[in-house]
Amino acid sequence: MENFVFGIVTGSIILLGAVGFSMTLNSDHFVNVAHGQMLLLGAYLALYFSKLTGNFALGAIISVIMTGALGMLFYAAVYRPIKTKGPLILLFTSVGLSYFIWGIVGAVSGSQTQAYEIPAVRAIRVFGTPLITSYELTIILVAVIFAVSLHLFFAKTRQGKLIRAVADNHDLARIRGINPLRRALYVWFIASGMAAMSGIFLGMISSIDLELGWKQILIILSATVLGGLGSTYGVMFAAILIGLSMELGILILPSHYRSAIAFAIIIIVLLVRPEGLKSVVPALRGRPVESDMESL
Amino acid sequence: MMPGFVLFLISSLTLATVYALVALALNFEAGVDGLWDLGVVSFFAAGAYAYAILTVGPPDQMQVYRLGFGLPLWIGVIGAAGAGTLVAYLIGRASLHLKHVYYLITTFAFAEVIREVLTNERWLTNGTAGMYRMAQPFKSSFETNLYPLVLLLVMVAILVVVFIALNRVTKRPFGRALNALRENEDLAATAGMAPYRYHLRSAMIAGAVAGIAGACYVWFNTVIVPQQFTSSITFVAWTVIVVGGLGNNRGAVLGAFLLILTEDVLRLFDLSSTVAVRVASARVAVIGLILMAVLRWRPRGVLPEKRPRFSRSEALVPAEAPAQGLQQVGSGE
Amino acid sequence: MLETREVSKHFGGVKAVNGVSLMVEEYAIVGLIGPNGAGKTTLFSVISGALSLTSGRVSFEGADISGHRPWEIAEKGVVRTFQTPRGFPRMSVLENMLVFASERTTGFWKNLLAGGRLSAEERRNISRADEILSSVGLLDRRNVLVEELSAGELKLLEFARPLMAKPKMLLLDEPAAGVNPALLEHVVTYITQLRNNGLTFFIVDHNLGFIMDICDHLYVMADGELICSGAPDAVACDPNVIESYIGTKTETTV
Repeated sequence: MENFVFGIVTGSIILLGAVGFSMTLNSDHFVNVAHGQMLLLGAYLALYFSKLTGNFALGAIISVIMTGALGMLFYAAVYRPIKTKGPLILLFTSVGLSYFIWGIVGAVSGSQTQAYEIPAVRAIRVFGTPLITSYELTIILVAVIFAVSLHLFFAKTRQGKLIRAVADNHDLARIRGINPLRRALYVWFIASGMAAMSGIFLGMISSIDLELGWKQILIILSATVLGGLGSTYGVMFAAILIGLSMELGILILPSHYRSAIAFAIIIIVLLVRPEGLKSVVPALRGRPVESDMESL
Repeated sequence: MMPGFVLFLISSLTLATVYALVALALNFEAGVDGLWDLGVVSFFAAGAYAYAILTVGPPDQMQVYRLGFGLPLWIGVIGAAGAGTLVAYLIGRASLHLKHVYYLITTFAFAEVIREVLTNERWLTNGTAGMYRMAQPFKSSFETNLYPLVLLLVMVAILVVVFIALNRVTKRPFGRALNALRENEDLAATAGMAPYRYHLRSAMIAGAVAGIAGACYVWFNTVIVPQQFTSSITFVAWTVIVVGGLGNNRGAVLGAFLLILTEDVLRLFDLSSTVAVRVASARVAVIGLILMAVLRWRPRGVLPEKRPRFSRSEALVPAEAPAQGLQQVGSGE
Repeated sequence: MLETREVSKHFGGVKAVNGVSLMVEEYAIVGLIGPNGAGKTTLFSVISGALSLTSGRVSFEGADISGHRPWEIAEKGVVRTFQTPRGFPRMSVLENMLVFASERTTGFWKNLLAGGRLSAEERRNISRADEILSSVGLLDRRNVLVEELSAGELKLLEFARPLMAKPKMLLLDEPAAGVNPALLEHVVTYITQLRNNGLTFFIVDHNLGFIMDICDHLYVMADGELICSGAPDAVACDPNVIESYIGTKTETTV
């Protein structure tokens, strides 16, 4: 039971990271490796601002907003000018950006493992058994809120539909008088802000170190592929599934194979069914995968 | 006795040679052929561990690995190349039907799984405690003082041989076929080429070269631990070939030396350890900036790929009338 | 020589090609016309092995080739071209030709162990490529990168390239698209001459004049099915064909 709860928590953290990653993948059609470093950035900015303000929650909120703003800045300054040069150039530019962010964070903060100064909490007891801490509950709630509100945003609001329209067809969007830059900036703001949350939550349940971004981007990639490239709902589902299988898998396998489980899953999925989960579960198909996703 | 900075320079150059070998391997499959392999470190690790296990002696009391054949060094190198090839073959067999992003992610995932296996299967690798006292070439024939230079020369010799071999194949029809598959796989298939077979071969060649590089890496470090084989090796190799010029073997070698020397220049200064950590991070940030700048303003790298030029066949007069030519070109014979 | 029997290709519920049976005789120039979305290119892709077929049978020289992969079909002597000529963009014109050379020289070990000079086969391939290039007037451009060619030159290369493979049959996908009238005349003579030299053609095109000029036999497709066939002058009278062409024109102008 403990493992199950922790699996959901881990899954929620992956979800926040992976949904943002998948949004940038859909809107700009390249693998943004630097998304992992946005988690790192968010985690360290929260550390800095919570020390500065003396309030962890406030520090975390400032960090989410700042990371979101930096995400927009990186998009406008780094990716947008080379948007037409093809996915490989964009991919390695994002590797360059990863090095840059990682290096700056390392140079400023040093390489030691750090932790947030938050009070230790006892697990809430349900029917006498300790089940979940208030931190873990917060993480799950935030992930659920974001999953639901993103769904409502994309499915119901005009802005959300426009963002999808821009992702689907730039020319059409332009003809209809939609400014693709502005929509893209929204996407990058939300995606990077969610990345920051994911990074901060990771720090809350364990600690933060410089390798956090590199480790997480792999798991995020796994969730994205497992969910089927391009399907937001598939990615949400896959994130929870990976979180659960990592935490439940260690009941069967030696515990040091925890993250290998996630990678083994994606290898198996890709070998058997390259389109990911959405080809198995039709309900996960948000919308048909466009042909240019194939050519990525 | 060599002065400190000379030793330091030798060590940097030796490391650069290792990276040049990995970069050449990656360039062959990713630059000459067009495989988006984000797991070249798998071949590298396979080679390094194969070399270690084949050549290392039996374990002492502190160590838990069970194998350790103590075989001669040259068998270790052949084993390293073989292990790299084998791993490339197995991963290729499994994932080459996937394209681009899917292939990239699968190879990435394989690399991580392999590293976890190396970390956790202590009977094979001695886990994170690692294996040490690795055999180095010609170690006993030279003075300890002089040995770093000898090792550098040995590795440079290997690099030269590998470079000549790969460069030859790159410029010959085999390399041309890989280029064609990279440029337009559907069209290449209509030329009668089975893409999968060529991709598998290019991955295996990359595997062999990266495997040899793995053995060289063991010589350089004299110890082997799984932490040496993170995906950052893959990213460095990609950075090297992207900066050097994707598809150009000379670019791969130049890129490796430029990158490692850029990294190491700052190490020459005496720094306290806390400062050194920060400077090391800042160096990585600089490399990130260089990578972004090259991709933005010189996307084909410092030494862009060059196409071979062939001189005109003697039999043909340049200004021949089209109609005359047609008569001779009849196909379907 | 080439025969399709009841060939179908469905994508999900869409019947892109539905029960098409046709025949291309040896040394013939056979055309396939029809409006956009009629399934002509899909049929080509099925014949050349790029797409698997849903049902039916394709045979070449009496042997069943349905379900064979593109390279296997190419080895049998059926080479196709593509609607949008791209070639191998970052390779030279001559290299584009050499990739298609029928005399294979791509063995890894052979390449590795050979001495410094070009092999005899390679030299033969180069001189054959030069001959073909000079016949289409591209000899002076032989060392130029394909991405630097003009649209017209690219089109010419598209004809020249498959000849290196010494094919028995060429499947040309819209050879006249984007070709100016002067060049088109050249293309017509070129194709006819190649046929006289023993090549068979199966051509998809929109340019009705061109197809009428060049083909011995014509098939017309609409909505994935063959609607009629016959000699060019006979087919042209059929009201079905005219209707489908009016359809094309309105579609393309939208």
